[in-house]
Parts: sequence; structure tokens; C-alpha cells
Amino acid sequence: MREDATLVSRFTMEVATAVATAALGATTMIGASEHSIGWGDAGPEPGYFPFWIGLIVVVASIGAMVQAFVRHRGTGEVFLTRVQGSRLAAFVIPVFLFVPIALFLGLYVTTAIYLLAKMTLQGRYSIRRALPIAVGAPVFLFIVFERWFQVPLLKGPLEAMLGFY
Amino acid sequence: MENFALLLDGFGVALSVHHVALMIGGVLLGILVGVLPGLGAPNGVTLLMPLTFAMDPISAIILLTSMYWGALFGGSTTSILFNIPGEPSSVATTFDGYPLARQGQASEALTYAFMSAGFGAMVGVILITLLSTWVAAFALQFSPPEYFAVYFLAFASFVGLGGTSPFKTIVSLTLGLAFATVGMDTVSGSLRLTFGFDELLRGISFLVAVIGLFGLGELALTMEEGLRFDGVAARVSPIKVLRTIATMPRYWLALLRGSAIGCWMGITPGGPTAASFMSYGLAKRLSRRRANFGKGEPEGVIAPETADHAAGSSAMLPMLALGIPGSATAAVMLGGLMIWGLTPGPSLFNDRPDFVWGLIASMYLGNIVAVVLVLATVPIFAAILRIPFAIIAPLIVSVCFIGVWTVASAPFDLWLVLAFGVGGYVFKKLDYPIAPMVLAMVLGEKTEDAFRQSLIMSEGSLGIFWHNSLSGTLMSIGVALLLWPAASLLFARTRAKAAPAADA
Repeated sequence: MREDATLVSRFTMEVATAVATAALGATTMIGASEHSIGWGDAGPEPGYFPFWIGLIVVVASIGAMVQAFVRHRGTGEVFLTRVQGSRLAAFVIPVFLFVPIALFLGLYVTTAIYLLAKMTLQGRYSIRRALPIAVGAPVFLFIVFERWFQVPLLKGPLEAMLGFY
Repeated sequence: MENFALLLDGFGVALSVHHVALMIGGVLLGILVGVLPGLGAPNGVTLLMPLTFAMDPISAIILLTSMYWGALFGGSTTSILFNIPGEPSSVATTFDGYPLARQGQASEALTYAFMSAGFGAMVGVILITLLSTWVAAFALQFSPPEYFAVYFLAFASFVGLGGTSPFKTIVSLTLGLAFATVGMDTVSGSLRLTFGFDELLRGISFLVAVIGLFGLGELALTMEEGLRFDGVAARVSPIKVLRTIATMPRYWLALLRGSAIGCWMGITPGGPTAASFMSYGLAKRLSRRRANFGKGEPEGVIAPETADHAAGSSAMLPMLALGIPGSATAAVMLGGLMIWGLTPGPSLFNDRPDFVWGLIASMYLGNIVAVVLVLATVPIFAAILRIPFAIIAPLIVSVCFIGVWTVASAPFDLWLVLAFGVGGYVFKKLDYPIAPMVLAMVLGEKTEDAFRQSLIMSEGSLGIFWHNSLSGTLMSIGVALLLWPAASLLFARTRAKAAPAADA
């Protein structure tokens, strides 16, 4: 298996994106038609503007799709190679895990866990070297946000245990 | 001369210890943001925005604009030393800046970049000083149709001057407008596009969108390339700096041309990125030392840098005077003005002259502070880039999530930013422009209001947008810009058909 083998082609991605944006446009139109989309006594009704905007999104998406067929079909252009794909996954998967963990444990603890995991599992640091940074960074952020700027961030069970609210 | 007196008052506002300290802090934070890949000016300003909600508006805007200058400068540092543009607008600086640094002339390259950037920014600020009251006085006569015409022109110029596929620009733009309609309708009070989700009642915050699109999306791109820093040792020697400054007047033509292109692209929403590329391209075509471009030609550093910063600063003119931002970062700041309780646009000049002129004076000072600081701190920030990316990248991600939380303390926004991150990544890789979406999200509500108020005035006739010569002209230019890509395509077709015949 070659490293620069294509995982996703540009053409596939162009079409998929055009379908996705068209779907968003259609959703906007459906949402808008829950209200009156015509003209009332006081000019355009609430649904008028979003309805037409949604329609333009759909039409332009179709234009982008046609352009994808003209410009990118069968050209062999690459969107993502295998190597890029694995690098991307190594970045994206932890980022997506960050959110549910943060909603449960709070932003500070999650930052510590995330930093520690990234540095030891992917950055090949020893736990001894990674731990001070992983703990120090959230503590620093805590001082900056909670003390200096008085902006409370999302906290979890650990902060509650320590008596910070 | 009235402007001059007002400007002096502005210096009185800006030259307090508190404000100068904010400038220094803002510039340093900005350089940091500009140096780190994945954290750009729009994203940096967005992350800082929630922390300014408690400040008075003058301090807040000084902090944010200083950060903007710092970010523009920081982007050039990494372009020259590491061949990695910290900002999209400093891509063109890598073409000649990095080769110059590789030849052992890092001090010279950095000095050329910073001095010409400072020059460009100054020209932009002088332009603002001279024109802003005039533009604002002109704009005070605007009624809703004129406002809609101006917004329409701003959107249309993205489509007409964008360079990428017009369909993609329109998709990006109208999606932004659609996102802006989510939530409470300000005219009728009805809830639109919420589909029964309570989380959508507040609407979709453009701040969350920017952090996702520019922050997470851009980081994903950087990570995918398997980023390696291959830096040139950065030691800035003061003697070399002074000697280089002495040679600057030799490049007066490149400086003036870059400033002119930058100012034009900044006022029309072409933005700094387009300006720097255009300036580099023109300099290359017109220079006598054309062959040396790409191999470390000083003019190849000066041209894009001047235009980049001239565009960055002059983008503040339409933002202040008309309420229309000329770049993505200016769009974020415009959103900030509204959050601070100010109404951007011409009335601001009458209501809060202290704010407007304090800001303009701070642009003069902030840029001088930025040039000095950026030259002094090059070794420090170059050292930051030697911290392994395995530590920096996760830190940036955490800061992005924290920034999202500070916007509205809403768990839903943490999911939303992931969606925008994915969108930003895909859009960027497929050449969908992102700036139009941000601009549309910020201006969407005002655009719709202007549109609906106009039609209420005319009782439903679209002719209202051509009711006088001003809005008629603006609308006609807008329509022409929208049709421009189609027209140029047709033109190219007919010429391609005609060409073989001419050869024969």
C-alpha cells in the first residue's frame, strides 16, 4: 500500500460538499415556510427572506456540483491521501472526544487529560515530562480566567470537590 | 482641518498609560497569535472578544485593533524564518522572504517586511483620517434602500472579484445569511429556523463560527500536512536593521504601489490576502529585476507586505464610516461594536467622536508600537516555534474550546464549533472562500432589516432600490459585479474560438 494512495478523491468531496450545502439550503427553505413566506400588509413576512436565501443556496450548490462534474471528474485529483487521512484522524478524533468529556468533567480537567494524552500517546513524551505541562496549563488558565478576568468557565466534579464554583 | 483637531483630541484619549499598556499587551498577544499556525487574526480577536465585554468600548477596541496589528506582523515573521505563513495574507511574503533569510539575511528580510508593513499601515491610517468624516457625512443621508444597496455591493464584490468559483462564493455567502436568520426575528418577533431546539433561540453566534472555521478548521489542515518547522536561526542585529532602513527609500515605487493596491482592496472587501498577492504579482511583472523574484529579492518582500498592511488598516474605514467591514477580522470587530452597545456606521461619528478618533489615533500609535515590538521580540517568538507542535497544537485546541465557552456559556456551542470546524476544513480544501460567510453572518440581520424596511417604504416594489441615483448606482454596480464572472467566461469562450482562426 503506497503512502500517497488516494483515500478520498477531490471529485467525491466536491460532490459530497455540494449535496451537503444544498441540504442546508433546503432545510432553510423548509424552516422558513413554517412562517408566511409571502407579502403581508407590512412588506415581506418573516419567512420571505430566509426562504429565498435558502433557494439561492440550493441553486448555487447545484452550480458547484455541475462545476465539479466539468472540472474534477476523472482528473485523479486527490482530496486526502492515506497518510494525510491517518494524521487527520489522529487530530480530529481526540478533538471530538474533548466535547463530551468536557461537558462531564469541566473544561480545566479535560484540558489536562487532553494535553497528557496527546503528549504521551502521540507526542511520545514520558509521563514525567508531560505531567507538569498537562497540569500547569489548566492551572494557569484557571488563574487567568477565574481570577484576572472573572470569567467563569465550565467546571466539573473535581472543582466542586475542591470548593471552587 | 477639522479632522486634524479631532485627531489631536483622539491622541489625548489614546495616549493614557492605561491605553498604551493595552496597546503593548494587545500587540504582543497579536504577534503570538500571528506566529502560531492555526491561530490567525480573525480567530485571535474572536477569542479575546468575550474578555472585553466588561471593558469600556475605547479600551476594548484599542486592545483588539492592537492585537490585529500584532497578528499581521507575527504572520510575516514565520513566513520569513520558517517558510510557514502564520496568516493567509502573508503567504506571498514567503516567496522571497524565506530565500532571503536562507542566504543569511534574516535581519534584512525581517526589517524590509516590518518597515514596509508599517509604511503601508500608516498610509491606510492617513487615508482613514482624511476620508472618514467625509464618507460618514455622505452616509448620514442614507435611508434603508441605500443601506441595502451598500450591503448588496459588498456581497456582490466578493462574487465578482473573488477569483474562485462564483458558485462557491455564493454558497458561502448565502449560507452565512441563512445562519444569521436563525433565532428571533427582530421585526415580527417570531422564532425562525429553530426547528424546536431551545439552543437555537439565541441564534448562531458568529464568534463560535469564526473559532470553528478559522481555528479548528485551519489546525486540521496544518496537522494533516504533518507540519515540521525548519527554521532559520533568528538573530536580529541592530546595525543591520539600521543599515537596511537606510536603503528603504530606494524602493519608493514598490512602497507606493503596494499602498495603493492595499488601500483599494481594503476599502472594497477584497481583503489583505488578495491585496498582497496582487501587489506581489504586479511588482514581479513591472520590476527591472524580474529574474531575481522568488530567489530573495527585497522588492518581493516589500510589495506584498506593504499591501497586506495597507489593506488591513484601511479595512477599518468602511467599518467605521459605513458599518461594513472590509475583512474577516474587521467583521468580527464590527460584531464586537454592536455587543458593546455602539451602532457602527455614520452616526457613530456624531454620537461618540471620542471613540472614533481615539481609535484612529490608537492606530497611528499602535502601528509604531508594533514595528518596534516586533523587531525587538523576534528571537523570543522564534523560540516559541521551537516548542514541539505536540505541545502547542493541543494547547491551541483547548484555548479554542475555552473561547467558545466564554461566548455564551452554552454547552450546545461546543458541539456547534465542531460542526463549523469540519465545514471550515472542507471549505478551505475545496477553495470555498470563508470570509464571505463571516461577513454575511455579521451583516445578515442588518441586511434583512434594510431590505424589509425598504420594501415597506415602497409597498413591495423592488424599484425602490433604484429610487434615486445613489442607491441606483450602487445597485447597478452590484448587479454588474454579480454578472461579471459569467460575462468574463463568455468572453474567454469567444476569444478561444477566435484564436485558432487568427493563427491560421
